Parts: sequence; structure tokens; C-alpha cells
Amino acid sequence: MSSPFDQIIITEGGEPVDEVELSLLETLDHVLNRGLVIAGEITISVADIDLVFLGLNVLLSSVETAHEVLHKRAVNDERTGAVNEQTPE
Amino acid sequence: MKLYAYCFTEDGDAPSEFLTGIGGSQVRVLKAEGFSILVSDFPTETVPINRHNVLAHSAVIQRVLAHTTPLPLRFGTLIAEEQLRNYACAKREALHEKFDSLRGCIEMNVKLISQAAQAVVRQHLPQPADKPGTAFLVQKRREILGSETRIAEAKRLAAWLEEHIGDLIKEASIEQSRTDKLILAASHLLERGVVEQYRARLKTARAERPELHFLVSGPWAPYSFANIELEFKSQFGVS
Repeated sequence: MSSPFDQIIITEGGEPVDEVELSLLETLDHVLNRGLVIAGEITISVADIDLVFLGLNVLLSSVETAHEVLHKRAVNDERTGAVNEQTPE
Repeated sequence: MKLYAYCFTEDGDAPSEFLTGIGGSQVRVLKAEGFSILVSDFPTETVPINRHNVLAHSAVIQRVLAHTTPLPLRFGTLIAEEQLRNYACAKREALHEKFDSLRGCIEMNVKLISQAAQAVVRQHLPQPADKPGTAFLVQKRREILGSETRIAEAKRLAAWLEEHIGDLIKEASIEQSRTDKLILAASHLLERGVVEQYRARLKTARAERPELHFLVSGPWAPYSFANIELEFKSQFGVS
């Protein structure tokens, strides 16, 4: 039996699941979206990440939403790849 | 060189074990105004958001949580030592009051996800017409009704949740209707000793509402209850 102070994720089936990404989303939701703020001292870098990441409230609101975002990104990547292949040099 | 700050603890409550922070740096304790503040040296002016850094930040706070209840700082708090000391001095009373309210507590989160609300809206609205103007208005009406339906459902679920766990929680922070799917996201502050009871109650509640998807996580440090001022509204949209 796990420690009562281990972090757990429970699905509707009642069983804890080892969903690394799900756990990461919950962690992001907490450390980026909440916590004590010393105003003016939050300096985070966003230069090297996807801008969709900035919409964390949306992205983190549900796993399903995250999956949709990833799916759309994959579709876009496919389209972009297709366009690039068709574009003459 | 600035300090990366992880959390405040009450003096003497900081863990004595070796902790590794962001960038592999050693976490140390800065004592100020009766607080122990966990910090590490940080060589640059900004903190990259990436998996490694986020997990390192969280890991430090989780290790502290195993010993005591910290006031977790939001990710990315870079500050000069003098500024941090000034902050502790200026906010000393408020920080002590916050510790008084959070001592011995942890945070649990539950998200309730349902597809029922959107289905109800679809049943009562006509299909989009061929004319663009009509289609636009139908879509707008759908959005408004969907939002109202979700809010009403969220209120019902919040009351229902309160019936099951209300006596266990010291404080709650409820977010309603964040998306079509996520009806309710609740953060609950509770005593460490009732965590298993909280989980058991939620398990019972879950059995009553099989149409709902439950996502329960915790225990966390009291991230949702740590602020001593108004919520920070970031220009990045991560308020």
C-alpha cells in the first residue's frame, strides 16, 4: 500500500494509474498556476517553447483537451510536411 | 547572482536532508524574520519552463511537505537575497497568519469531468442553417446556453460534493466551467490526518455518479491557499 502522502491520480475506475503525462499536467497546473507570488519577481522564459503552452489554463483543464491539442498539432505537422514536400526549392 | 526561491517554512521546520533543486543546484536554507526559506543559487535572469525544471521545483516542495506544511512559491521566483529578506520583513505578519491557517494541512484536488451538459444543449437547439447569419446566431445561442448549462451543473456538483466531504475540509477553492468537458475543479485544504477519509468519501461519491469522470490528485502543498495578496495576473496568461 502506498504512503498516504504519495501523490496519486485516480481514474473513474478507482485505480491509481501510472500516467506520467497526466501527473505532469497536474504538477504544471500547481507550480505554474498557483502558489505564493512575490509580485514582479516571476521571470520565466518562454522563448524556446511552443506558444500554445502559454494557454495553460486551457491546456491543463482536462486531459481530453490536451489530447485534442496534441492531435491538432499532429494534423498540422502532417499538413505542413505535405506543403513543404510540394513546395519547389 | 539571484536566488531561486522554492518555499517558505516556519523556522526550524526546513528539512535537514540534502535537496537538489533546479539545474542540479543544492538547495539551502535562508533564515529571515523567523522563517526558513528554501533557495538555490541561479546563474541566469530567467527560468526556462521545461519538464526538468518544473519537476525539480515540485520535488523540492514535495520533500518539504513530507516534513511540514510549506508556503510554496510559484514556479520561476528569482529574487535577490536582499529583496527576499525585505519581503519577509514587510510581509512578516501576513506570512505568520498564513502559516497559522495552513499548519498541519495539505491540499487535495478533484476535477469532475462530464459530457452531459453539452449533450443537453445539442438536444434543444436546431441544427445550423444554411444561411451564414442564421448559422452564426445559432452558434452564439449554443455557446451561451452551453455556458449557462455548465455553470448550473457546476453549482449542483459543488453542492453535492460539499455534502460528501464538507465536514473534512477547512477551506475550498472552486473553479467552475473551465471547458465543455471539465465541469468543476476543486482544491480542498484539509488536515493531513483525514486524507484517507477524504479519498474514501470521494470513492463513495464516485459510485453515486458513474457518469462523471473523477480526477483526484494530492496531497500537494497548499498551492491554492498560499497567496497572501490578490492573485497574480501574469501577462503570460498563467494567472
